[in-house]
Amino acid sequence: MTPSNRRYLLRRLLLLVPLLVGLTIVVFALIHLAPGDPALAFVSEGSIDPQIVAQVRKNLGLDQPLPVQYVIWISHVARLDFGTAYTFNGTPVIELIEQRLPATLVLQTAALALSLAVSIPLGIVSAKKQYSAIDNTATAGAFLGLALPNFWIALMLQLLLAVSLGWLPASTPGTDETTGIARLKYLVLPVIVLALPTLAVFTRFVRSSMLEVIKQDYVTTARAKGLSEPTVTYRHALKNALIPMVTVVGTQLARLLGGAVVVEYIFAWPGLGSLAYESILKRDYPVVLALTLLTGAFILVVNMLVDVAYTLVDPRVSFR
Amino acid sequence: MIEVAASRPAPVLRTGSHGDSQLRQIWRAFSRNRLAVAAAVVIVLLYGLAVLAPSIAPQDYRAFNAGQPLKPPSAEHWFGTDRQTRDVFSRVLVASQVSLSVGLVSVLLITGIGVSLGALAGAAGGGVDEAIMRFIDIVLAIPQLFLLIAAAALFTPSLVTTMVVIGLTSWMSTARLVRGEFLRTRSLDFVLAARALGAPGHRIVLRHLLPSAVAVIIVQSTLWLSFAILLESTLSFLGLGPQPPTPSWGAMLADGRVDMQRAWWETVFPGMAIFITVLAFNLVGDGLRDALDPRQRSR
Repeated sequence: MTPSNRRYLLRRLLLLVPLLVGLTIVVFALIHLAPGDPALAFVSEGSIDPQIVAQVRKNLGLDQPLPVQYVIWISHVARLDFGTAYTFNGTPVIELIEQRLPATLVLQTAALALSLAVSIPLGIVSAKKQYSAIDNTATAGAFLGLALPNFWIALMLQLLLAVSLGWLPASTPGTDETTGIARLKYLVLPVIVLALPTLAVFTRFVRSSMLEVIKQDYVTTARAKGLSEPTVTYRHALKNALIPMVTVVGTQLARLLGGAVVVEYIFAWPGLGSLAYESILKRDYPVVLALTLLTGAFILVVNMLVDVAYTLVDPRVSFR
Repeated sequence: MIEVAASRPAPVLRTGSHGDSQLRQIWRAFSRNRLAVAAAVVIVLLYGLAVLAPSIAPQDYRAFNAGQPLKPPSAEHWFGTDRQTRDVFSRVLVASQVSLSVGLVSVLLITGIGVSLGALAGAAGGGVDEAIMRFIDIVLAIPQLFLLIAAAALFTPSLVTTMVVIGLTSWMSTARLVRGEFLRTRSLDFVLAARALGAPGHRIVLRHLLPSAVAVIIVQSTLWLSFAILLESTLSFLGLGPQPPTPSWGAMLADGRVDMQRAWWETVFPGMAIFITVLAFNLVGDGLRDALDPRQRSR
């Protein structure tokens, strides 16, 4: 690694601090500047007694000026203390997140794995046989995949596979079915729906990246040396074609996490996405704040790692 | 862009045969893409249908047909009827007004904010540029759907909220692209020449840098029309879009979901409408990109 690259990496690492602080300010401002009184979530709908509401506001610290609320909040956040939820029986936010995290991780990992497993071979074949039937189908499929709203795909798959054909369950498992295989089939539909748009983006990307690399001199050289076509494709071309993929995977993570909200809602998947949706509807500020902040921070860190990985993987990349 | 053109002092001679031939070149490149042309025709038709919807719809979208809940498609009700006995075809037609107008207004906002901030960052450089770009990094780190749902729910859901919220959460990629375009053109000879001749900063931005970015802006705006409509239908589906009685495709899907097993027409037709609209804007956007901006060409 050159000294200039090392300096870049250090700068990139340090930049994370102001970005994270900025994130907390943006998230806090967004949620607290919106109209709507979270204190109302506490009092039963019939009895909106202004005195009780005022007392609730006081107990929650909502009567303090915003900057004071921010400082109190941030000093807790720094210790990973996100307080207790207003609703959800007053469970500590961190516990709520711990409960829901595994389900989301399973869903996200499976969707990401599926997208990669399908898009890389498909992209390679599309590039190797440009304008062939496979390539044209993949291109058309990618277009359709990006134009179809994922909640509609979810409904249509439910209609076709679960309701009409009865092959798969339409929703999530009850607590009684806990064995691995029985649970696996509940995963199929949500994972497909979540993976589709990402899969479309990845396939397009692998294809165009491959097409670019295949034309380069060193690939022609490899071929001229008499190497077999698979060796040229997989050992020489593919390696370089997949490097920029690191960045695309990074940007798609945000999309996958956002998509989880809709997909988990439709399939009643007990993950962070449905937690986000419920807490937003209930104006449960501590939960919304924690979730937005943690996802944002996660993505900022991933983006940083992507940049770092890029400099490590591709020696041609150098920075001022 | 329109304003820039209007503010030019002596436009008559300048925009004569020269600009004309460039336009014709672009049109020739665009029209070679049959799919994009077909999609453009579909978009014109969709807007026509949306404008005329109230008068050509066979029934009022609120009208009940007593005793005919969940009737399958027939000559009388092309797309069947919903649980509340209303004509699904009429509702799909009228709902197009919501999606198409949300698309237009949101994209105006996206383009307005994106181009202003992108141009500011690209032209000013230095600390301003750094601040704007880092702000974009932060906003982009929060999944958009997350931001969208939170904003839509915290403010009262309505047609206007939907438009504003989509606009405010979608401008980042446009800003980045415009900035990139500014940085690229800023060091080109014709801009250096203009600067050497003593042209003031605002003149360089408006007459040299911005026109060079027009292609990128048009392509982005067209593509965002399709994304904005997708986002609107998602919000409507979650019950956070325009509220009843205003019909929207997303809300119709959410309604139809309840009776999905008995009445497929309630979920299939509004979904097809979203799909066709989004696909048409996507295809036109892609065609425009190939015609206007060969460097960005998607192979």
